Formats: sequence, C-alpha cells, structure tokens
Amino acid sequence: MNGFNIHRAYAIARKEVMHVLRDPFTLALALGLPVLLVTFFGYAMDFEVTDIKLAVSDGDNGPAARRLMDIFSSSGYFRLAATGPDTEPVSMLDSGRVSAALYIKPDFSKKVKGGDQVEAQFVLDGSDNSKAAAVMGYLPGIRRAAQTRLTGTAARDLLSIETRFLFNPELNSRWFTVPGLAAIIIGLLAILLTALTVAREWENGSMELLLSTPVRPLEIIAGKLVPYGILVLAGVFFVYLVSRLVFGVPFAGSHLLYLAACLLFITAALSQGLLISVLTRQQQVAMQLGMITGLLPSMLLSGFIFPVESMPAFFQYLTMLLPPRWFMAAARGIALKGAGLGELAVPFLALGSLSAGMLALALKKFKTDLE
Amino acid sequence: MNRTLTAFIKKELTQTLRDVRMRVLLFGAPIIQMTIFGLALSTEIKNIKLAVFSSPGDALFERVAESFYASGWFLRAGHEPAEDPYELIASGRADAVLIAPAEGLARSAGRGGGKMQLLTDASNAAKARAVESYAKNIIAAASVREYGARPEGTFRFDVRVLYNPAMESSMFLIPGVMGMLVCLITIILTAMSLTRERELGTFETIVSAPLSNAEVLLGKTVPYMLLGVIDTALVVMAGYLIFGVPVRGALWELALASLVFVINTVSIGTFISTVSRNQQQAMLGGFMFLFPAILMSGVMYPVENMPRIVIAAAYLDPLMYFVRLLRNIMLKGGDAHVLWTNLGALALMALFASGFAYKRFRQTLN
Repeated sequence: MNGFNIHRAYAIARKEVMHVLRDPFTLALALGLPVLLVTFFGYAMDFEVTDIKLAVSDGDNGPAARRLMDIFSSSGYFRLAATGPDTEPVSMLDSGRVSAALYIKPDFSKKVKGGDQVEAQFVLDGSDNSKAAAVMGYLPGIRRAAQTRLTGTAARDLLSIETRFLFNPELNSRWFTVPGLAAIIIGLLAILLTALTVAREWENGSMELLLSTPVRPLEIIAGKLVPYGILVLAGVFFVYLVSRLVFGVPFAGSHLLYLAACLLFITAALSQGLLISVLTRQQQVAMQLGMITGLLPSMLLSGFIFPVESMPAFFQYLTMLLPPRWFMAAARGIALKGAGLGELAVPFLALGSLSAGMLALALKKFKTDLE
Repeated sequence: MNRTLTAFIKKELTQTLRDVRMRVLLFGAPIIQMTIFGLALSTEIKNIKLAVFSSPGDALFERVAESFYASGWFLRAGHEPAEDPYELIASGRADAVLIAPAEGLARSAGRGGGKMQLLTDASNAAKARAVESYAKNIIAAASVREYGARPEGTFRFDVRVLYNPAMESSMFLIPGVMGMLVCLITIILTAMSLTRERELGTFETIVSAPLSNAEVLLGKTVPYMLLGVIDTALVVMAGYLIFGVPVRGALWELALASLVFVINTVSIGTFISTVSRNQQQAMLGGFMFLFPAILMSGVMYPVENMPRIVIAAAYLDPLMYFVRLLRNIMLKGGDAHVLWTNLGALALMALFASGFAYKRFRQTLN
C-alpha cells in the first residue's frame, strides 16, 4: 500500500455516481429542491410590514377623530378592522383579530379645535416582536402627518436627515433573502447527502469490506465526496440563474471569486457531513445531527435574518464556527457590494480552516476506528 | 388498550431510547438549541458601526453625533479625515456614515434646512430600515433639545405594548423555536426509523405476528408521539426556567395542542416513510417538508406579509397553527376563539394525515 491513488478514488467515485443515477428521485430532488425552494421563498419572504389590522374605539365620533382614522388608513401600513364606540379592542387583540388598537377619547375633536394639547392612546400587540418593532417605527411619521392635518400647523423640524441606501437603494428584500436562502439550502443539502451516504456504508457493513481492500481511507473519502460536491455545485448554478433572471439580484463583483467562495463553502459543508457520518455511523442519527447542526443554526445564527453584530459578544464568537456565516458574508459582499479579495480574505480563510479542521477530525476518527 | 399493543409500544420505546446518542439528540439537543437561540437572537438591531464626517468646529453637529452614540444602538467607527465615506461602508468598517452639511449644521439649520446625510449599508435591507428609523427618532429628539419650544406640536400618541411590554425578543422567539424543534425531531425520527425498518425487512417479521395492521401502525407511531409530547414539555419547562417565558394559559391547553400537533407530524413522517425506498429518499422527503414548514410558520417573519398564494400554502402548514397556539397560550393566556379555531384546524389536518398515512402504510405492508 502506498499513498493516494487517483484511480482508486476515481473507481469509488464512479460507483457513487452510479448509485445516484440509479435513483432518479434523489437526483431530481438534489438538483431541483434548491431552485424550487429559493424561487418560492424568494417570492414569499418580505420584511416590510404592511396591512396591519387596527381596531379603533372612537368615543368622540367627531371630525377630528375621523380625520385621524383616515390618516392611518391612507398611510399604506394600516387597515381599519373595526371602528365605532362599541368596539372592544382588548378582546380583539387577545384573539389576534387585530394587531393594534387606537383609543380616541370623547372630547378629542373639541380639544383639537380649541388648540389644546391632545393625545390618542395607541395599543400594540407585543407578542409578535418583529411586527411590533416595525409598527413603532411607523408612528413618528403618522404623528407628524396628524399634527399637520389636525391643527393645520406643520411640525417644524429644524434638523433632518436624508438617507441614502447603498448597494440596495430601493431596499428590495429579495436582494438579500435570495442569496441567503441559497446558502442555507445548498449547505444543508451538502451536509445531509454526504452524512447519509457514508453512514449508509457503515450501516450496511460495506465500509469494513471496502477497508479490507487496498483502498486507502483518504481515497474512499475523496471518492465519496467529489460526486456530491459536483451535484451540489450544479444546484448552485441553477440557483444562480434563478436569482439573476427571476429576482433580478444584481451581481457587482467577480464571478471567479464567487465560484471560489462556493467551492470553499461546499467543501466545508461536505466535511461537516463527513464528520457527522464518521461520528454517528447510522443514517438516522446522522440525519438528526445533520439537521440539528445544519438547519436551525444556519437559518438563525448565520446573519441570514438576525444580524450577527446584534448578538451578545459570546455568540458572535460562537457563530464563527458556522460555515454559512462566512459564506453569507462573502456571497452578499460579492453580489451586492462588489467585494474584492481584500475584503473576502477573512471569510475565505475561515471557510478554508473550518474545512481543514473538520476533515482532519473526520480522518483521525476514521483511522482510530480502524485500529 | 390490549396487552399485546402495550407491550409492543413499550418495546419500541426502549429500543429507540437504548442508544445514548439518540437520548442526547432527543432530549439534550432541543434544550441546548433553545438556550442558544434564546440568548443570541434579538429582533432588535444593535451595535451599528457609525462614522461621522464634519468640518472642524461644528459644535452642534458634534452634539447630535454624540446623541447617536449615547442611544446605545450605535458604536463608534474610526476613520481618517480624508477617507471616502463610501469606501468606509464598502469595506465593512462602518455600517452607516453621518455627514454634516458643508457650511456647518447650525448655519444650515438657521436657513431652514439643517439637513444631514446618512449613508447606510443596505446589503441587509431589514437592518438598513432599522438604522433609518433609529436615526430619524434621534434627530427628532435632538431637534427638540436644541431648539426647544414645542416643535413636536400639540398632538401625540400615548403608546402601550401589551403582553410583552419590554418588547423582549426572547418572549416571542422562544415559543416559535419550540415549535420548530418539536416539528423537526418528530418528523425525522418517524420518517427515518420507519424507512430503516423497511430497508432491513423487519416489517415482514411483524406482519407474521398476530397483530392487525392498525396495531402495527399504532405500536410503531405511538412511541414517537409520546416522545414528541415529552419533548414539548421539556422545552416549555426550560423556556420558563431559563428565560422566564410564562405559561399564562392552562397547561391542559398546551398539552392538548402539542398532542394534536405531534399526531400531525408523526403521520407526515409515516407518510414520508411509505413513499421512500431508502433512508436517503426519506431524508430528502423530510427536508422537503421541514424547510417550507419552518419558513412559513411565522417565526422568522410575519405570515400576513406574504403574497396571497403563499398565505394559502401557509394554511396547510401544521407548524403555523402550532406556533400560533403556543404564542397565544403562553403569552396571552389562551383566548378561546384562537384556541378552538387553530386546534380545530390542526385536528382536522391530523385526521386527514393519519388516515392517509394509515392507508399508505397498509398498502405497503401487504
């Protein structure tokens, strides 16, 4: 027995390719699933909160109250779900039929007319934070509009800002969800496919058989990983086409760098899958572990939706162990900001060292199990 | 229940729990994950790196900039005076840049403008939106402080937040994460282990035993349902003990909701196993269900925001109903209307899913 032999690795790879080709269901899903899910959720996900159902308890029933309601409904964010003096906003909030409520006191119109200080109570359902925070953000604008239209005197703002949104001037949510979704789906698929295929060999006992032949562990691993790497890379290509053609996601950077980032990320995901399979050796346990380490962390901790920088310091360090976190940064950087090698050095290095680390661990475990 | 069936269920339960790794994955992992997500995640955007550009001696602008840093949302991002603000953001050293008017802020405000420029990195659109809304609030407050005299006007809102007055993200995220974890675990467990048995051919042995088809199915699935309900209880307890997420409604409501939900997921898992020839296919099937179910559950973003067609699809997602139930029971104390409509929908789905799974299961058995 000598070092790495490319022919033996190739033979293993060929066998794996045959296995995948024999199973059109797996092949179709592995190729089609990423495109399907990216298309569907790229279309579905939107972070701008609109159509907020508002109940109004109008004790005033005067012109100013009606004007205030009109300001809410014409803002584009709110929909009046129930109005009138008999409305019971609290029970409607309890049952979730409305997300916010407005209380107008009986003397509202009178006070507005008299130019007195006047207020309306605004009650918000805090059981859904993502919505509540957005609604809170809309209120200052509504107040300003109400001030102008109710009293006729515009609120004079001596200081103001003009915001320019760089890299995504219209704040199109798709531009940042689509690349993120792609990273999650592709990463998870790569982990699960490899974890299961290697675990299967252990489960069937064919791994022992393979190891008794002159094939070296590294050749087995390379032969097993490369076909799935290519399969996943094909998935990336389709996802790329969909995000450019269907969603019009811009691509400011270099395609070559993007390809490099994809290859690094896929390698990391494949290594993670391999490590899982070597540790578990059973498909069911491998799948549980793959999902647990792959799905929720990559959705929630990678910066896909919840920015990493907003997390407490300890968790910011913890996310550094997650390949999707680095790929997410690299993919968004290349596509939207046109990032060059200088900005990408850290994510690239991180992905590379994570892959190397996981591969080394897997190989070590593999070898100790043989003795 | 007859004795054979009870014995059968007991045997399946011990068999699943015999493996230490399985015990850890079933009972340890959900609690660890919930703790991590609960501590790490927040819907509030924080630690925004802000750089400021002004001509020297612009005291008013410096006070305004100081109020950004004092707000707790922004961090100082250092830079050279001659640097290009755009470059600063492109390289990721700043998330936002505040630029004073060239003539100085005080003079510009005196002429009625007072307009500063804010550049933000919108490669994360949700974050950019939050940055803008923070900045507007800070500037409005600064305007009042600097120029006094009620520029706020005579009208204002008195805002009150119900159920979660401090707007703590964990209160709202934890019930959602619980639902996701229970869904994930039960689907994978059922789909993979039933497919494995089919691969190994153990079902043939069972068929020759004196048990009816329904008994075989119950014996195989009831243990997973039990495990799912136990897992829910565990995560609810952990949520209460670690994060103080309350259970304001009745415990039986919570138990009933989780039982009906778990019947759904176990039936779906069983169905996946009957259409898969090997565990790899079962894995892909599970993935195909889980990914959309989690994204449409309303945990990551509000369901009502989605396009109409997608909302229609979300109504077929058992996890969406379960997350609604969990949030309503835990945070709002269980409104009868919400409880019965969502439970009703879940029960109806459970009936269909289990009936369908049973039919498929019988076909594959015979």
